[in-house]
Amino acid sequence: ELPPSQFPASRASAVALGYLCYLRGGPGRGLQLRELRRARRQDIDDVGHKYYLELELEDVLDKARTVSCTAEVLYHLGSKTSAPDVQVTVQGELRSTEEADQEFYNWIRSLEKELVAENIPDSHGNVPPELEPIHLLAWVASGYLIWQNSTENTKFHLAQVKHVKQVKRSDEDLQFDYVVLLHEMVSQEVLPWQVTLLWHPQRGARVSQ
Amino acid sequence: MRLPVLLAALVAVATCTETFVGHQVLRVIPQNDEELQKVQELQELEHLQLDFWLAPRGLGLPVDIRVPFPSLQAVKAHLEAAGVSYSIMIEDVQALLDEEQREMLRSSRQLPLNTDTFNYEAYHTIDEIYNFMDLLVAENPNLVSKLEIGRSTENRPLYVLKFSTGGTNRPAVWIDTGIHSREWVTQASGVWFAKKIVEDHANNEGVASILETMDILLEIVTNPDGFAYTQTTNRMWRKTRSRHSGNLCVGVDPNRNWDAGFGEAGASSSSCSETYHGPYANSEPEVKSIVDFVKSHGNIKAFVSIHSYSQLLLYPYGYTYTAVPDQQELHEVSAKAVAALSSLYGTQYKYGSIITTIYRASGGTIDWTYNQGIKYSFTFELRDTGRYGFLLPAKQIVPTAEETWLALKVIIEHTRDNLY
Repeated sequence: ELPPSQFPASRASAVALGYLCYLRGGPGRGLQLRELRRARRQDIDDVGHKYYLELELEDVLDKARTVSCTAEVLYHLGSKTSAPDVQVTVQGELRSTEEADQEFYNWIRSLEKELVAENIPDSHGNVPPELEPIHLLAWVASGYLIWQNSTENTKFHLAQVKHVKQVKRSDEDLQFDYVVLLHEMVSQEVLPWQVTLLWHPQRGARVSQ
Repeated sequence: MRLPVLLAALVAVATCTETFVGHQVLRVIPQNDEELQKVQELQELEHLQLDFWLAPRGLGLPVDIRVPFPSLQAVKAHLEAAGVSYSIMIEDVQALLDEEQREMLRSSRQLPLNTDTFNYEAYHTIDEIYNFMDLLVAENPNLVSKLEIGRSTENRPLYVLKFSTGGTNRPAVWIDTGIHSREWVTQASGVWFAKKIVEDHANNEGVASILETMDILLEIVTNPDGFAYTQTTNRMWRKTRSRHSGNLCVGVDPNRNWDAGFGEAGASSSSCSETYHGPYANSEPEVKSIVDFVKSHGNIKAFVSIHSYSQLLLYPYGYTYTAVPDQQELHEVSAKAVAALSSLYGTQYKYGSIITTIYRASGGTIDWTYNQGIKYSFTFELRDTGRYGFLLPAKQIVPTAEETWLALKVIIEHTRDNLY
């Protein structure tokens, strides 16, 4: 059993949340942690450390509601190249974003010039309202990076979208090439990462390798 | 010239929907009747969408024409074919408008005349904050004084505001903000705290009773070089801006430079790292000046160093797992302070020792102050928990300062009621 206020559980929560943002986030949905209710750690010989978490999440665009979820995060022993294994189960329904997603999709597809933007948020924390979906998609992309690159000795957050460029495609996906700044809490480094995100209103998001 | 006025008018238009990218302003000075006629012909060609800033008036008088990008070729061909010479006054109207807009924003940041008209809901520059301090002192000369405790690496003054109703070297509470320059909500909160202290005293409420027996010391811009750097060059700069011989990179982490477990696990020995501890303890003037001040004051009873982000209230140690002797009391005070903070807007904080709650960190501020005998040593990590992180929206400054102040009052009152 782990105290939720202490860092091992809080780092594992960040990984679970990153994974969930990648899977379920979108231009109309950004998930963040309201509270870590319970945490357990299991040391598995020759395998690694497994965390069992009970989380309460909220959608940044709908803070009145929360959603519970359970997660398992397995950090592999001694592995520097392997991402943690994560499983998340969301109890209950997340607010539907079908309409907003379709609107966003139509808007981007209708642009004559490919969208380009920088510094989201800006130095003062401002995000122009029309760029909020781009900001939320950056969370999705960052969620992937956070999941893939975390260890028990790191805790990542998206610090800023430094640059984003839309790339028009011949298929139906939207493509955004991001340069995001990730803040790593233990080393305190803020470093740029390049990531390409593909997104479709029905098919969801995936990071393009 | 009328240029600035015309540009200002265009700025007003430009901020709606029109863009002037690629537009040029040409100047023609007709030398004879043929040239004058050629220019007047242009006025008839409506499809070119020409905008005459100075209409044709006569020979030898300039004609200034704003030409939209699509019409440039046609207009220049028309003039060249007739042998009419022209000059390009403005190569790109949009570029000039953008610069003008920036300039307008810069000059509209006029210095407020008093601390009541100061905008607490915005982030400010060093000059604006230093000006605020002078205004506060001028408005409250019997309560507030400004002490210069040293100079930064780049020779910026390090100012501490002292709030005192008198006495000689009364027991004091120290608060610092902005030691890590990218944590902008902290300097902004410091400014709010300063005003709040003055207001409480004037209304005889809040900390007014504290000020009867104790002093409050507040250093708002604890790392001015770093702060300037976040405004001019790199918003994410954390450290000081010192250059030490033999080092590849600039800056030392001022929260790893104190003489408490200096150089041990929990700090980096590489100058390029964000947690570089520096060549030796107190190498940074920003740190040394506080050390000297605390030692010579000799009567500081509580020390609070404010950071962001993560929503945590922390007590020592960061450099060792050994619990401080006063662990239980500090834990209880933290619980009370966090409850008071949450009571205002429901903001959730966690609390505990540094090493168990966030990470191992050596050479930290409050580890040193605690070891100096300042029992009530705390560090805050203010809003938020990562959604905006260091880039906290300005509209959250005042709510953050208000809730944090409630926690600070718990710590200050506990200190007063448990003086040692």
